[in-house]
Amino acid sequence: MTFPIINCTINSKSIQVCVDPSRTLMDVLRTELGLTGVKEGCGQGDCGACVVIMNQRAVNSCLVLVGQIEDCEILTVEGLAQQGRLHPLQQKFAEKWAFQCGFCTPGMLMSAYALLIQNPDPSEQEIREAIAGNLCRCTNYHKVVEAVQETSQYLMANQKTIGVWYG
Amino acid sequence: MQVFVPKTIAEALNILQDLREKAKIIAGGTDLIPHMRAGSIQFNSLVDIRLLKLSYIREETGYIAIGSNTTHSDILNSCIIQQNYSALHQACQQIAAPPVRNRGTIGGNLANASPAADTAPAFLVHNASVIAESTRGVKNISLDEFFRSPGKTALDPDELIVEVHIPVPEKHTSSAFVKMGKRNAMAIAVASAATQITLDSDGRISEARIALGSVAPTPIRATEAEAQLIGRLIDTQAIASIEYAVNNAARPISDIRASAEYRNQIIFILVKRALLRALEHQNAFIVSE
Repeated sequence: MTFPIINCTINSKSIQVCVDPSRTLMDVLRTELGLTGVKEGCGQGDCGACVVIMNQRAVNSCLVLVGQIEDCEILTVEGLAQQGRLHPLQQKFAEKWAFQCGFCTPGMLMSAYALLIQNPDPSEQEIREAIAGNLCRCTNYHKVVEAVQETSQYLMANQKTIGVWYG
Repeated sequence: MQVFVPKTIAEALNILQDLREKAKIIAGGTDLIPHMRAGSIQFNSLVDIRLLKLSYIREETGYIAIGSNTTHSDILNSCIIQQNYSALHQACQQIAAPPVRNRGTIGGNLANASPAADTAPAFLVHNASVIAESTRGVKNISLDEFFRSPGKTALDPDELIVEVHIPVPEKHTSSAFVKMGKRNAMAIAVASAATQITLDSDGRISEARIALGSVAPTPIRATEAEAQLIGRLIDTQAIASIEYAVNNAARPISDIRASAEYRNQIIFILVKRALLRALEHQNAFIVSE
């Protein structure tokens, strides 16, 4: 069987993927594309470890068929750092100890990123709701919330946005 | 697994007619893909409806038409829904979590026909109907007749939900949806209740709709309780008076989430909360005896 070619943009790079379109996006990102920052926690949309950004929205990549990303823009945790510098979100996560084992962290970062696209000045409640789909067994979440709050404050104080923050 | 991506509804319907039970329609995939992963599937093809332009919320004369591929997040972003269909808005708010709401669709939620489907009680009190198409034509199915048993609907295997219609509510109508889960998010409902109340110029209830989720093989209306509210002034007595009828309508089972006894215990409380929440909107105040 020949597979259709899927044209998409992943971490700002135009990519053509030629795989079985019924495989999950999570599987293809981790395997053929080597983006192992995307984690498989449950594989069924319950834990959020696999969250990536698809067309500016957080999605569970384990619930997206790779064929469905045709003409879409995907952002994974590997796409956050720019020119050797950590994204402010990553910087704040590190400063605030917003992770311990780190397994949930890529998904947390992407859910937080997606929130800050839509809402650059979220309340604590809004942050908690945005990460409601990201389970963490280590941190009890509060440091994650603080990291997101400080990121939004930093971006606003420096008149930067979640997507354009360097330079 | 073969994946078809039809570019028109006609193309989709032809594929479904050819393959029938061997094909499953995939929209957001939030229910379907976990089923596929669990291996408990009898189909070998998928029909992806993403190119069929079924993602919209349109004002028509006398009703709103919601495309079946409209996501729960799209519903939350809709001012029309937020202002006029609180039960549906609140139901979508309480589904899972943002990444699931960004992909899951209202068509999929109804077609999957879980007894715990969150949008179902809301759509039931909003008097919804499902518009389904096949190569044989178009069907308009009242949601009251749509759910047959857990996971089974009135749809034929080759039918595709294209739209859900909800009539424009009368004046002085308000609604609400309340859900009890084992946690605040990412929880399948242990029990849920939706209400829609219309008041006449004397403040008496002229229309009442009450729907219950997760307490029967399908989402259901508590029609006996509804009838008992008609013509009454809303007060604590009126609400208390329907407890027996609500409990009679519920026939829950025990499962991994809760016992039947617990569900029986809480369902009227949820209905009461949903009634009070709906009535808050109308600045109606409850006269206590």
